[in-house]
Amino acid sequence: MNAKAQKAKGCGIEPAYYDAVTQAIRSEAVKVLKEGAVSAVIGYLPGRRKSAAVPAVVTTEEEAGRLIFSPACVNNLSLYLTKAKKGILPGGKIGIVAKGCDLRALAGLMGESQIKRDDLFIIGINCAGVQGAVAAGNGQLTEASIAKKCRECTAHTPEGVDFVAGTLPHLDGLTPLEAEELARIEAMPQAERWAYWKEQFSRCIRCMACRQVCPFCYCEQCLCDKNRPQAVESSPRPAGNTAWHIVRAMHLAGRCAGCAECERSCPMDIPLNLLNRRMAQELKELYDYEASMAPQEKGPLNQYKEDDDQSFIK
Amino acid sequence: MHAEQVKHDFEPKVVAFVCTWCTYAGADLAGTSRMQYPPNVRVLKFPCTGRIDPVFILRAFQKGADGVLVSGCHPGDCHYMAGNFHARRRFAAFRALLDFVGVDLNRLQFSWVSAAEGGKWVEVVTELTERVRGMGPMKEFKELELEEQWSASLSTPELKAAYDSIT
Amino acid sequence: MPQIITEANLRSLIDSLVKESKLVVGPKEAGSMVLYQPLSNGADLKLGALPRRSSKELFFPICEDILTFGKEDGVTKVKDVDRASFPDAVLIGALPCDAGSPSILDAVFSWDYNDDFYLERRKKSTIVGIACTSCDDACFCTAVGYAPDSPAGSDLFLTPLKDGSYACNAVTEKGEKLVSAHGSLFKEGAAADAAPLAAPDTAKLDLAKIKEWLNTHFEDPLWQSIADVCLGCGACAFICPACHCFDINDEGTPDHGTRRKHWDACGFGKFTNHASGHNPRDIQNKRYRNRIMHKFKYYDDKFGKTLCTGCGRCIRACPVGIDIGDILNKINVQAG
Repeated sequence: MNAKAQKAKGCGIEPAYYDAVTQAIRSEAVKVLKEGAVSAVIGYLPGRRKSAAVPAVVTTEEEAGRLIFSPACVNNLSLYLTKAKKGILPGGKIGIVAKGCDLRALAGLMGESQIKRDDLFIIGINCAGVQGAVAAGNGQLTEASIAKKCRECTAHTPEGVDFVAGTLPHLDGLTPLEAEELARIEAMPQAERWAYWKEQFSRCIRCMACRQVCPFCYCEQCLCDKNRPQAVESSPRPAGNTAWHIVRAMHLAGRCAGCAECERSCPMDIPLNLLNRRMAQELKELYDYEASMAPQEKGPLNQYKEDDDQSFIK
Repeated sequence: MHAEQVKHDFEPKVVAFVCTWCTYAGADLAGTSRMQYPPNVRVLKFPCTGRIDPVFILRAFQKGADGVLVSGCHPGDCHYMAGNFHARRRFAAFRALLDFVGVDLNRLQFSWVSAAEGGKWVEVVTELTERVRGMGPMKEFKELELEEQWSASLSTPELKAAYDSIT
Repeated sequence: MPQIITEANLRSLIDSLVKESKLVVGPKEAGSMVLYQPLSNGADLKLGALPRRSSKELFFPICEDILTFGKEDGVTKVKDVDRASFPDAVLIGALPCDAGSPSILDAVFSWDYNDDFYLERRKKSTIVGIACTSCDDACFCTAVGYAPDSPAGSDLFLTPLKDGSYACNAVTEKGEKLVSAHGSLFKEGAAADAAPLAAPDTAKLDLAKIKEWLNTHFEDPLWQSIADVCLGCGACAFICPACHCFDINDEGTPDHGTRRKHWDACGFGKFTNHASGHNPRDIQNKRYRNRIMHKFKYYDDKFGKTLCTGCGRCIRACPVGIDIGDILNKINVQAG
C-alpha cells in the first residue's frame, strides 16, 4: 500500500509527454489549416498564469503554432460546437482538440443531432490526465493536483478520431477518490444523505457556471430561467438551489458524458459530478447504457423496452 | 352508506398526477361506483404519464405535499402508444436521483390503474395515504423553503446558538 | 502611540461583540474553502486566506426579501420588510480588496434612488480591515490603485506585526468607537515591526489611459476575441466585491408570495432581454464588453471611481480562464 502510494506521487508523467502532445497538435493544426481542410481549430492557448490555459478558436497558421496541451488544458471544447455558442465559428469544417472524456461529449452531441461527424476534424489526445480545481504552482501534474475524473479515467486513448496526438506514458494506478466518495454517500442513512446535499446545495450562488459550461445544456430556453410558470425558483435560496440541482441532474441523466466540467467550474466546490455519476451508474445497471466515444442513436431515456423493470410500480 | 369518518391527528396532503385516459377514468369509476377513498388526494389530470415532468413531483413536495402518486395506463395500453414506457424509464431514473439526495421514496408511489380498475385506484390511494400518515409530515422540503442565505436572514440560528453558548 | 491588539484579544473582541448581539462576520472555514460568514466566536476567525466570495454580501445579500404579499379576506395586502430590524454588524478581517468595495458601491446605491436595503445595512456596519500578507498570481490590487496595506473603506485597520499582534489604525469615527468601547482589549505601545506584506507581481495600470481607450473603442476586435470563449455564466460577477447588479423576482402564488432581490450578472444572456424578445446585448461579446466598460469607464464617468479592487477572484473562478488582469494589460499597451 505504502509502496504503491509512493510510486503514484508524481503520477509518473514527465513534462516531456505534454511537450510531445503539444508539438503533435501544433503541426497537425498548422497542416490542416494550411491545406484548407478546416476553417478553424478549437484548441488551447497558454494563459498569462502558469497554471492556466485558455480555450481558443484559431484560424491562422501562426496562431495554430502557439496551441498547447498541458495539465491546465481542462476544458471540454465540444461546448464551442453547440448552438449555445453559435456565431463564434466560421463556416466550413472545424478542427477540434479532444481528450477522451471530451470525445464522449462529441459523440453524445452527434447522437442528439447537434453536430455532424463530417463537419469535424478531430485531433484526439492520448491523454494522461489534467489538473483538478487545485492547480499546482509549477503547472506540473502531481497526485495532489490531478483531476478526480482522471484518477479513474477509462478514456485515455481516443477512438474514431482523425489524428492522434502523443503517446500515452506509463500511468500508475491512483485510488478512485470519487468512486469512494460516491459509495460513502450511498451507504449513508437517507436522512444523512439529505443533510449532506442540503449543506452542499445551500452554498450554491446560482452563477450557472455548471449549466453554461455543460456541452449538453444547449437549450435556448432553460426551464430554470422561466418564471411564467415558474418551475424552479430562480432566486439563490436553499429551496431553489436544491430544485435546480435535482433538475439539472435529471436533465443530464443518460446524456452526461462524464467530463465533470460542471464540478470543476463550480466556484463553490459543490461535488456535482457525484450526481451525474450516480445517474450514470443507475442507467448502466437498469438499461446497460454507458456514454461512449462512438455516437449512439438514442440515449437510455428516449428509448424503451417492453420488458423494462417496473418493480417499483404498483 | 358513508363509512364512519375516523379522526386523525395528521391528515397528509397527497398529490396524484394521473393520465386522463386510464387512471383519471379509473378514479372516476371509483366515484361513480360510490367507492370510498381518502379525501387527502388531490388529483391532477394530464394527457399521459409521458407528460408528467419529474419537476412536477419536485414542485409538489416543495409546495407542501406529503406524498405524491403518479399513475397512468398499464404498459401496452397507452393512448399515445409509448408514453408510459418512456415515463417508466424516466421515473425509474428519477427515483434513484431522489433517493441519492436523501428523499424517502416511501412518499412517492407509481402505479398503473386502468379505466376499469376503480377498486385498484381506491387501494393505491388508501395505501399511500395511510403510509404517509404513518410517516408524518414531509418536513425536508418545507424546512428548506424557510431557509435563507445567512446574509438575508435577520438572525441566523448559528448566532442564536452562539448567544446561548457564550452568555 | 499606536494601539496594539494581540491575536488572542482580537478573538476575544469577536466574543464580546457576539455577546453584545452584534452580527459578526469574518473569514471562516467552510468545507474546502474560506467564506465570509457569521462568526459564533473568536475561534471561528480564519485569517491568512482570501475568502472565495467577497464580503459584499453583508451589505448586498445574495438574495433578500424586499416585501411579502398575501390575500386577506379577498384583498391583497403588502408587507414591507422592516429595515429597522437589520442587525448591527461588524465585519472583521476583511482584506483591503474587500473592505474597499462598499465605499465604491455607496455611490450607486444612493444615486438616483436610495436603496435603503443596502444603505441601512451599510449604516449599521463597522468594517475592520486587515493588511494582506499573502497573494497569488491572480492578485492585482496594486495595478488598480489599491494595496495590500490600503485602509480605504475600513473603519478600523489592522496591520499584522511580526510578533503576531496587530497595530490598529482607527480610520473613521466608527472605528474609534469600536476601539474605545473595548478599550481593555487594546493597549498602547510601541509596535513591533510589521509582518511582510503581500507583493502582487503586477505592473501598475494607467486607469485614466485605459478609460480613454475605452471611450473610443466601443467597437474593437478585442471584444470578439475574449467573448468567443466566454461562457456567459455569472461566476465572475457573483464573487466580485464590486459587481452589484441585481434582479427582482416575485415568487410564490398570486395568493401568497415574496418579492425578492437577488444577484444578477451582465454575462447572462437574459440580463438585457426585453419583454418584446429584443435583446440589445444579443451576443456574448457585447456582454463581456459591458463588464469591462462598466468597471473601467461607465462607473468612472458617473461616480469618478473604478469598479475593481484587484482581488483576482474572477480570474481564479473563470471556467475558461478569462483573465481581466491580462485584458487590462493589453488595453494599457494598446492605449500607448
